[in-house]
Amino acid sequence: MIIRIDEYSDVPIYMQIRNQIVMGISSGELKPGEQLPTVRALALEIGINTMTVSKTYQLLKQEGYIMTDRKNGARVRENITQSGVMSEENKTELRRIVSEARLSGVGKDVLKKLIDEFY
Amino acid sequence: MTWLIKVIMFVCIVPSAILMYMLGFSGNPGKKKMIFGVRDNPKFHEGKGQEKFDAIVSSARKGGLIITAIVVILSIVMLFLPVTGGTLLAWILLVFALFLVAAPYGKGNMELKNLKKELGITKSGVTYTDLKNTNTVHALKLAWIILPNVLALLGTIAAVLTDFGVFGVTPAVEKYALTIMSLSFLFIAAIIIPIAVMMDNTRNMVISRDSSINANYSRAKKKTWADMFIAMSWANALYLIANNVLMFFTDSEAAVLISTLGYTAVIMVVVIIGVINQRQVESRYARDTELELQDDDDNWILGMFYYNPNDTRLNVEKRLGYGATVNFAHPAGKVIGIVSAIILIGSLILIIYLSFTGQLAV
Repeated sequence: MIIRIDEYSDVPIYMQIRNQIVMGISSGELKPGEQLPTVRALALEIGINTMTVSKTYQLLKQEGYIMTDRKNGARVRENITQSGVMSEENKTELRRIVSEARLSGVGKDVLKKLIDEFY
Repeated sequence: MTWLIKVIMFVCIVPSAILMYMLGFSGNPGKKKMIFGVRDNPKFHEGKGQEKFDAIVSSARKGGLIITAIVVILSIVMLFLPVTGGTLLAWILLVFALFLVAAPYGKGNMELKNLKKELGITKSGVTYTDLKNTNTVHALKLAWIILPNVLALLGTIAAVLTDFGVFGVTPAVEKYALTIMSLSFLFIAAIIIPIAVMMDNTRNMVISRDSSINANYSRAKKKTWADMFIAMSWANALYLIANNVLMFFTDSEAAVLISTLGYTAVIMVVVIIGVINQRQVESRYARDTELELQDDDDNWILGMFYYNPNDTRLNVEKRLGYGATVNFAHPAGKVIGIVSAIILIGSLILIIYLSFTGQLAV
């Protein structure tokens, strides 16, 4: 799986990595139980501070997407808890995207098609 | 006998100058990913951009060619001059003059960076990392590089023990000559190992969305580096041992110089084969390259020295030539940079001083 880091993005780097790992898990690019690189290895590879990667892993662990332990490092969780509820943050983000799409003249059907494609 | 000194210097300088010209001043600048350490851009090949680009490239190539030709011609002329303290200094200065071949490269780099600004080419600032290959792609088998260097160490220990009379035999050469010669080549061995390890640990390149292509590309590149350093280590170790044996039985300087010439030729061949292999890897994977690499041209001073305080990596792939260089913004990189500069400038001053005080003699 390829991670793309944009240095000039408003989104912090730890969040960019987090978002792409979540997308990777969702799309199946990262399989349940798959080993993730160590904090040090990933930080060295991207050329960023180990604290940034550590922050990403802690966040992903908190959110229940990965599990970490001293022996095996970080792995994608086998069974990710499915609450069936969308977080308020994501709802707000979705509302922003829908609003921007409507203002740009993008039709509801196009949006639905995109959702079908990404889901 | 002094003609051998001239031949050795000639063999060291001329192929190095030609190799530097070939590496820095490519024949097809529009078809390469990098031109003088600046990432190629489609805007360089449109209208006025193309005109300016061609002018910059042609001027830099011309400059490189002139300096290379001067170094080669001077080396040929020096072959016909007698070896004195003065000409020996001139030979050594010619070695330092090799760095001048890179000067037009640096000039081309600055001019292309200015052209980028003029054409409004903005930085993309995007880095790709392959999650599946992180820290997993290596090609250097440590045992293969440690083994020849252990042999070199054993050869050195044998030389030291012989010189100190532990074996009760006396070598043909003067006292401590074996030790000095062996320690010099052991020093080279000690430098080769960390460089080989450093190059094997460079960041894996991401050229495709396919992880296996990225892994194979990085592995192929690292394999050519690893092979080159292993071959160098073996050449170094075998030369050290062969030279010790030679110096033990004969004090003929001609024999030692001939073997040194052979050693230099072997190292040159190893480097040339390494460069050819690297080029083959690049051309083999050219069609698989689908991701645009990060535009970090501004972090490359003159296209040669990497200085990026926001990058925590110590070693990065070179832009001039093949292999790896250090990030001079990294604390260890700063130390390496300062030490290298002191050694380089210090040895130049020392050589000039020895020459002017008449101590640089043949």
